[in-house]
Amino acid sequence: MALTLEIVTPEARVYSDKVDTVVIPTVDGEIGILPGHIPLLTQIEAGELRVTKNGSTEFLVIGPGFAEVQGDSVSVLAESAINEEKIDVNAVEEARRRAEAALKEKFDMDPGEIERLEGVIRFAVAQLATKSRRRN
Amino acid sequence: MPSTRDIRRRIKSVKNTRQITRAMELVAASKMKKAQQAALAGRPYAQLMATMLAALAPRVDESQHAFLAKREVKTRGILLISTDKGLCGPLNSNLFKLVTEIKTPAKFVAVGKKGAQFLARTKRDLLADFTVSDRASFVEVRTVSEYMVKLFLEGTIDTVEVIYARFKNTLVQEPMVRPVLPLSNLRQFIEALQQHAGVVASEFNDTRDMLFEPSAQAVLEALLPFYVNRHIYQLLLSAKASEQSARMVAMKTAKDNATKLLGDLTLEYNKARQAAITQEILEIAAASFAA
Repeated sequence: MALTLEIVTPEARVYSDKVDTVVIPTVDGEIGILPGHIPLLTQIEAGELRVTKNGSTEFLVIGPGFAEVQGDSVSVLAESAINEEKIDVNAVEEARRRAEAALKEKFDMDPGEIERLEGVIRFAVAQLATKSRRRN
Repeated sequence: MPSTRDIRRRIKSVKNTRQITRAMELVAASKMKKAQQAALAGRPYAQLMATMLAALAPRVDESQHAFLAKREVKTRGILLISTDKGLCGPLNSNLFKLVTEIKTPAKFVAVGKKGAQFLARTKRDLLADFTVSDRASFVEVRTVSEYMVKLFLEGTIDTVEVIYARFKNTLVQEPMVRPVLPLSNLRQFIEALQQHAGVVASEFNDTRDMLFEPSAQAVLEALLPFYVNRHIYQLLLSAKASEQSARMVAMKTAKDNATKLLGDLTLEYNKARQAAITQEILEIAAASFAA
C-alpha cells in the first residue's frame, strides 16, 4: 500500500506520484505520514518536505500553505514549491534581497503585499537552509 | 444602381473596418494566450482546495466558523464578473440572462463596467463596483473578495455567489453561478459537479475523525478566508480568459465578414464600372452613326 502525494501551487502541479512516506513541515514541527494515517488537516510552514520512495529520499522546499491527509492520499497546497536539486542559490539570494529591500522602502504598503513579500523571504530562507544542509 | 463613386467610398470604409478588427483580433489573441495560461495553471490548485474544503465541511461543527454556519437566506449576495469593454460577442448578455433569472431578493456587487451599467440600468440593488485590470493581480481581487466577506459577516447578504463566464476553451465559455459562501452549499455543488463528470466521490470515503494541527480553530481561521480569496481569484482569472477568447472570436468573425463584404462590393463595383463603359461606347457609337 502506498501513499498518493500531490503538491500543487497556484502556478502548477509540482508533484504527483505514489510514495512510501512523506515528512511535512507544519507550524508545530515536522509530521511524518505513513500509509493508513488518520485524516489530518494541518497548516504548513515554509520548510523542507521529505519524500521517501523505494528507499531513496527526495527533498523539496515548500512555501506556507495547507496539507490534508485522507484515505492514503496526501494533498499539499503551498504558495510555492521547488525540488531541492533545482534551487539556484544565487537567484534565491537575489530574490530575498529584493523582497527585503521592497519591504524596507514602503511603510504605507498594502497589508496583502507585505504578507506576500514576507512569504517570499521565508521561502527563500527555507531554500537556502535546505541547500546548505545538503551540501555538508 | 449606386454610382461607382458610392461603391468606392463603401469599399474604403469596409477596408478600414477590417483593418481595425484585424488589429483588435491580434491584440485579443496575445492577451488571450496569457489569460488562458493563467486560468489553466491555477485550476488544479483551486480544485484541490475546493475538494479539501468539501471534505472538511461535514467534519467540523457549524458553530466553529461564521463561513460554515447555515443561515436563512433572505438576500443573496451576487458578485457579477463582467468585462470593462464591449465587442466580445454574446459574453456579457449571456451573463445578464443569468442575472435576470434571479427572482429572489438579491444584492449585487459588480466587477467590470458593463456589469455595473447593466445592474444600474435594470435598477437592481448594486452595492459597489470594482474594476480589475487585465493583468488581474491577486491583490486587486482581494479587495473585492474581502468586501464580499465583510458584507457576508455583517449580515447584509446571506450568501456569496459569483456569476461569471467559465472558460472552457477558446470557442466555448459557459455562463455560470458558483456558490462560494456559506461552505455547506459548496459541498453539494462539488458533489453535483463530480456526478456530472462521472467521478466517484472517493475523497469522502474515509470516515474516521479528522485531526487538526495545531487546532481546528486555528486551521479554520487560516484556511477559510484564504480559500475564499483564492477561489474568487481563480474565478476571475477564468472570466478574464473567457473575455479575451470571446473578444478574439468576435473580432475574427467581424474580420471575416468584412473580407466577404469587400469581395461582394468589389464585384459590384466592377460591374458598375463595366456598365458605365459599355454605356459610353454605345453613346459614342450611336452618335457616330447618326452623324
